[in-house]
Amino acid sequence: MKKQYVTLTVNGREYRFSIGDGFGQVPPSETLSETLRKRLSLTGTKESCNEGACGCCTVLMDGKGVTSCMLLTIECDGREIVTIEGLEDSETGLDPLQQAFIDEYAFQCGYCTPGIIMAAKALLLENPHPTPDEIKEALSGNYCRCISHYTVMRAINRVAGNGEDHTAVLHRANDDVKDPIPVREELFLSPYAYGTSSDRTLD
Amino acid sequence: MSKLEYRDIKQPNYRHIGKYTPRKDARDIVTGKAIFLDDFSVPHMLYGKTKRSPYPHAKILSIDTSKAEALPGVRAVVTHKNMPEKWGLGLPVHRLLMEDKVYFVGDVVALVAADTEEIATEALDLIDVEYEQLEAVFSAEDALKEGAVEIYPRFKGNHVDNGIKYFQPDGPWWQIIRGDVKKGFEEAAYVAEDKVAFDKMPSPLAPETPCCIAKYEGGNEYTIWASSQSAHILKLMGEGRIPHSTLNVKTFNVGGSYGNKQSLMTTVLSASMLSLVTKRPVKIVLTKEEQLMSYEVRLGSTITAKIGMDKEGYVRAVEGDWLVDTGAVADSVQGQVGVGLGEAQLVCAKCPNWYMDSHIAVTNKQPAGIVRGYGGQELNSCLERLMCTVMKEGNFNPLDVFKKNYIAPGDRFIWRDGRWWQSRSSLFFPEAMQNAADRFGWSEKWKGWNVPTSVNGTKARGIGMGVIGNADISEDNTEAIVRIVPDLVGNPRASTAVIECDITESGMGTRSNACKIVAEVLNVPVEKVSITDPGTKFNPSNYGLCGSRGTITTGKAVSLAALDAKRQALELGARHFRRSVDQMETKDFMVFVRDTPELCIPMFKLAPKELSIVGYGKHMEMFNIPSCMALFVEVEVDLETGRTSIVKVAGGTDVGQIIDSKAIEMQLHGGFGSASIDTAIFEECILDPGTGRLLTSNLIDYKWRPFNEFPPYDAYVMESQIDSFMFKALGIGEISGAAGASAVLMAISNAIGVDVKDYPATPAVILRALGKA
Repeated sequence: MKKQYVTLTVNGREYRFSIGDGFGQVPPSETLSETLRKRLSLTGTKESCNEGACGCCTVLMDGKGVTSCMLLTIECDGREIVTIEGLEDSETGLDPLQQAFIDEYAFQCGYCTPGIIMAAKALLLENPHPTPDEIKEALSGNYCRCISHYTVMRAINRVAGNGEDHTAVLHRANDDVKDPIPVREELFLSPYAYGTSSDRTLD
Repeated sequence: MSKLEYRDIKQPNYRHIGKYTPRKDARDIVTGKAIFLDDFSVPHMLYGKTKRSPYPHAKILSIDTSKAEALPGVRAVVTHKNMPEKWGLGLPVHRLLMEDKVYFVGDVVALVAADTEEIATEALDLIDVEYEQLEAVFSAEDALKEGAVEIYPRFKGNHVDNGIKYFQPDGPWWQIIRGDVKKGFEEAAYVAEDKVAFDKMPSPLAPETPCCIAKYEGGNEYTIWASSQSAHILKLMGEGRIPHSTLNVKTFNVGGSYGNKQSLMTTVLSASMLSLVTKRPVKIVLTKEEQLMSYEVRLGSTITAKIGMDKEGYVRAVEGDWLVDTGAVADSVQGQVGVGLGEAQLVCAKCPNWYMDSHIAVTNKQPAGIVRGYGGQELNSCLERLMCTVMKEGNFNPLDVFKKNYIAPGDRFIWRDGRWWQSRSSLFFPEAMQNAADRFGWSEKWKGWNVPTSVNGTKARGIGMGVIGNADISEDNTEAIVRIVPDLVGNPRASTAVIECDITESGMGTRSNACKIVAEVLNVPVEKVSITDPGTKFNPSNYGLCGSRGTITTGKAVSLAALDAKRQALELGARHFRRSVDQMETKDFMVFVRDTPELCIPMFKLAPKELSIVGYGKHMEMFNIPSCMALFVEVEVDLETGRTSIVKVAGGTDVGQIIDSKAIEMQLHGGFGSASIDTAIFEECILDPGTGRLLTSNLIDYKWRPFNEFPPYDAYVMESQIDSFMFKALGIGEISGAAGASAVLMAISNAIGVDVKDYPATPAVILRALGKA
């Protein structure tokens, strides 16, 4: 018998879609990325190439990284999907990966970032302590054109417990200057820090 | 007078500037909440799709749209026959959006608007078009030959107008004519002549494809939401194309642009036309294939030139001809040629004798447009290969030559506006080159021209370098307003500052940097400063982030606006405490007397009730602060397979002052992206000469560098406090990878011992050079 429904769990919530070509139904040709973006408004998952080459649409399916533009929604019956929106925990806050991406400034335009974070998450779920080479290999299917690769590696290496990544180094010439002449330091020594006005109590 | 030493420069100790501040949108980006155009929709919106030409040059004999129109859900089909308006394309306008002819594979044949993307796509196949194929031309050289097929009546002999008023207010400028080249060559000890082509027109290929939503508002008004890095440029170009129109342009986060997504003219006109016809908003999102096949790529560039160098290594004369292929649409190409010619003079700044001509041709290839590097990179990739030929002749160490010849304060040059400018930029560019070279190990690795650094079995290593500069970094005008907004209920902690300036975030962090700059001026936490949403209608004007102009231009406008507001606050404070304004200081929205800080008052008490303190600032265009970027690369070439890998990269620059310590680093790393360094190894658009169709129209066939192939990158950055604006910084992203391609070819030539002058140096090219294929 032809299946009438497809059931997905997305970011912890179960959704049941009716299959068919009628208005509002999920047609058999609909991809998982379309369902996520258009039906569930989970637009963090990006459709960049729509041919499985760029990794921007990567989500977790049963804990494994998949390119959601290459999967039909009807194939995903009973699967558990986690998107970038589902990574943040309502109690503990941002996933350590997300926090590391902020701390290391591991993005520029940010368009491919959700896919990169989800691909990295998939790797870390499988192997919590991958080597730098394993990380690079795992991300080799993720396209990034602003070139945030070096800072992404710093962020993921940090979460993987690999210590600091020195593939790219920024050397500031000022660090070579012995006894530099600083100016303006005195300007910020006011004892009246933020919110401590002398003539009224603020609290 | 003794020379100024770097260690003598006073280094300011800022509260925010120079440190890393997480971007304002950082949390939204890592949680997927940041909005890009395709994540946004407008009620009652339709989807537009484009029927594209399968031929590079053809006449449309007939179009039958009846089957497409009959498809349920299709709301409009527009072709050249039923276009409601004759909107033009190009600068100068040389064609219409749709005509009874098509000029490249991917050209617009028909537009469809439908209820869903799927219906619109299906309708495309239902449009029957009969073509008569015409002779096509695929290179600038062929296009300019006598008797070549003329593509547009506007361009006689396919020759695009030399210069246009928009870029050259005093009249067209397209040649460097200075001094006496004949005399220059007589004085030269070494002369070399050569021809180099950088003509594979690679794609910058932003991850987010070009897209927009257009909504016809009645009258001649349109609202455009676009994936444009500059709403202002879109408005400027769009209002020129749609006569008497007013465009209200709004932007979101842009998923990569690299200068390439600005006016989006074809896409915007297509969506606007469908909206005009259907009276509904229409969204057009290009597919990756459309982006690769029909959207704008880098200019094709071929140089034939003769360079003379004296015995000390100074360039004495340059004579040559630059042939530029702009593809099937000439849009802004004259500006790029102007910048290219300007940048040539920055690299050979001591050369008094020039005769450098340029010719721009239209061809039946996909259009070339604006891309990071803006003409300069395309020219540099050829010119520095030619410089290598003469440096080799004199057996010079290229590091010495580049250091000597690069522009120093006081040197003069003609920029793209056709006017003379005199550099007042850094004194320390040669030092930045040298220091980066030292960290790279240049002197140990340099063994001479066409001599490998080392050979290990079949693996040969070689090094190369390139230098480029850009004076566009303070181009175009910008204005900004900064408002100090006191808290309405009188809590000084809740006071904020708001920047009104039209800045779109396309990855550089400029919106956050503007907040950081204002926070520094007002001496408040960065969190207390915010910036208005980008858009042309309700913001003061900002030309947009192009040419690396954002740092200086928005930096200057917002810092002056903040200073204006701060001055007013200090004046109010001075009046309140009956002191001189020079005695007043501010921190965290409090105004106090510097020497008697107990005399302190929150700003909300000083400002008129309910009102904010408003400051205005602006930047006016200048071209006298060139930037500089030196790149060093070490490659390893497999002499058996011809495969090249980059094993080390180093960059050297002086940016005056770092605004954000992590953002600067990524601006430099960006030199690997947007079709730069790798255009020397594998990045190219491959055209089938038989059909004129692109063979590299997806992300598998078009090659790009993946995560596991990035070499170590060592960046050396000086901060010599350049006199650009209050925070002494300049922009660098435009050129961070622009000299990379010529550096890689130099490195490959040295590794294999044979000169390689073909872009990209694929295994086939290298094996041919080695006589193995």
